[in-house]
Amino acid sequence: MLFENPEIAHDDLPQADSVTWLGMDEKFVRRLLTEAALILVSVSIGIRVLQFVFNTAFADNNVNISLGWLWLLIPVAAVPLFVWPSISVPRKGYAIRDKDIIYKSGVFWRTVTAIPFNRIQHVEKSSAPLDRRYGIATLQLYTAGGSGGDLKIHGLSADIAEQLRVFILDKVGASVERR
Amino acid sequence: MSVADQENWLHTSPLAAIFYLGKIYQNLAKNAVPALTPVFVLLLATEGNLVIRIGFGLAAFVLVTITVAFLQYWFFRYRIADNSVLIREGVLKKTQLDIKFDRIQAISTQQNVIFRAFGLVSVKLDTAGSAKQEGHLPAVKKSLADALKERIRQGYQTGSSTKKAADNADGEEHREVGARTLMKLNGRDMLRIGLSSNRAWIFLVFLGPVIEHFDQKYGEKIDKQVILSAVESSQGGVAGAFGLGLMILFGFLLFIVIASIIGAFLRYHRFELVTDNDVLRSTGGLLTRHEHSVNLAKIQTVVASQGFMLKRFERFRLRAKQASSGKSGGQKNLVVPLCEPDQLPILSHEIFGEEFADVILEPTSAAFLPIDKQYVRSRVMLTGILPATVITALMSIPLGLFAVVFLLWIPVNAYGVLRKYRRYGVLATPDGLALRRGFIGYRVTAFLHRKVQRISLTQTLPQRRKGLATLRFYLASGSVRVPYVDFKKASELRDYILYRIESSPLAWH
Repeated sequence: MLFENPEIAHDDLPQADSVTWLGMDEKFVRRLLTEAALILVSVSIGIRVLQFVFNTAFADNNVNISLGWLWLLIPVAAVPLFVWPSISVPRKGYAIRDKDIIYKSGVFWRTVTAIPFNRIQHVEKSSAPLDRRYGIATLQLYTAGGSGGDLKIHGLSADIAEQLRVFILDKVGASVERR
Repeated sequence: MSVADQENWLHTSPLAAIFYLGKIYQNLAKNAVPALTPVFVLLLATEGNLVIRIGFGLAAFVLVTITVAFLQYWFFRYRIADNSVLIREGVLKKTQLDIKFDRIQAISTQQNVIFRAFGLVSVKLDTAGSAKQEGHLPAVKKSLADALKERIRQGYQTGSSTKKAADNADGEEHREVGARTLMKLNGRDMLRIGLSSNRAWIFLVFLGPVIEHFDQKYGEKIDKQVILSAVESSQGGVAGAFGLGLMILFGFLLFIVIASIIGAFLRYHRFELVTDNDVLRSTGGLLTRHEHSVNLAKIQTVVASQGFMLKRFERFRLRAKQASSGKSGGQKNLVVPLCEPDQLPILSHEIFGEEFADVILEPTSAAFLPIDKQYVRSRVMLTGILPATVITALMSIPLGLFAVVFLLWIPVNAYGVLRKYRRYGVLATPDGLALRRGFIGYRVTAFLHRKVQRISLTQTLPQRRKGLATLRFYLASGSVRVPYVDFKKASELRDYILYRIESSPLAWH
């Protein structure tokens, strides 16, 4: 016998659902709201430019194209854009255990993803300009196969993301396997 | 024979040019229009006799392609070092590849008629990476290919305690047994493979509208003909044309089926599956012999599938999937095109060994547990009733009461959903998992728990109310989705598999 395989009761196993979840960075909601505001501002500018172009282009032909209804888009888009972050962000969370990392997300479709450290191929940390403004980073964990997008954790504070990156890489390196 | 050679960069046989020529023509055929446009432009631009111009053009084309192929051969060098195969290639764009032996997922060789006469083979080294990272050794001596295979196999074994180590007591004896033939396919099987090939039946789908067209066109004419014949009592041309049309159609179908059978002979003639210690090797092919070797430890999932025709033949198709990145993965799999139901347990035991002894690939087995009935309700609601009522409501504006026909989608969809539900089945054992699913036929996917890369558990709103969840296992060869299972059982299974992954001392690759 090279290894034994005794039966294990589920209660003896570490349970992924009974962990203490760590939330996203508190500035993350503000960052998303800023993004929403920026989107709305750029859409408003876009509408204004469109109106200007149409008015000058058709100025001679007595055609009056009203684009006023486009402004309706702004409040229609504004409601979800400004409300959604404060609903979805508190539902996101991650937990680090000794041998794996667990990430949960989703409001209607709640997903809990677990990645054992000894299956991680590489780790990537990135932050967009707006992220940097709020000191936020995205941590991306890659496993082999790459089917269906790898785990992406957006909304960690840059410091924690860096700590996690180092910690995970350390764990990945430590998990030596026989082949 | 020592394969390692430190200093010399080697040329392949000059016949490799044939290999490159084949590749060039293949590529040209794939994008024929853009590739041949300049040639046509050149042809039209020059003046003179058309025949001479075409002849000249053809000659130039052949000359250019041969030159390119020869240049590709000339600039290809390879070297076999201690731990890796090094390749330098490229005429204009130089590339250098360093393929480590232990990164090689599978090794496959091809031997066409010309190569066979000279004892040469083309070797393809599959790695888990993208298609660009794969090594080709076109036209090398067969002895070198064999030595390479042996070297790679040894690479697995030195530092290795793969699955076979589990039964280590007789492991050493095991290794000495050497190659054993697991199965062979004969000519009759080739017929079955050809007939059950998807390609043969895809054409039928394409032909569907054509048949309809024929029906309408000739249906009307026949109506007329009947009237005419009542007057003139002469049935001639048109009915004949209808018959001719049918004959052409039938001939076309026959042609497709025959082509498919010929394809099966070309690809799988004298198919043989051999197990050689830790390596599974398939050989087959009429003109070009294809050989594909996979190390057992590199296999991620095993898929036994049975389509419409295979079900009639009571046969299965087996695929051993390896790690792949994206689209190019399909070609790397080891495929057993046809096997009998009672060969399934033998083959799965050969692949999984003692580690997953209780794996079941036969879809009819009673061991598969059904998923929750809520699947039917949710699916009928989401893909049947909801879209049907929305479309009926929308179409009732232009169509009026006639829009009710769209409601017919509901029973059709419900039948499909029910069929799919019945085909779903899960078999979770202490060591691995098997999922059965299908619509027309069956497909059973089996994998070892320790090969899983990550697990996600999702609950939709209705699922949360009913205490259900959808589990998704991501493996290096793709993902396996187990829908609508009890939430508590799903989380238990998830926790257990995580435990198995994290406590396994064996590598997944």
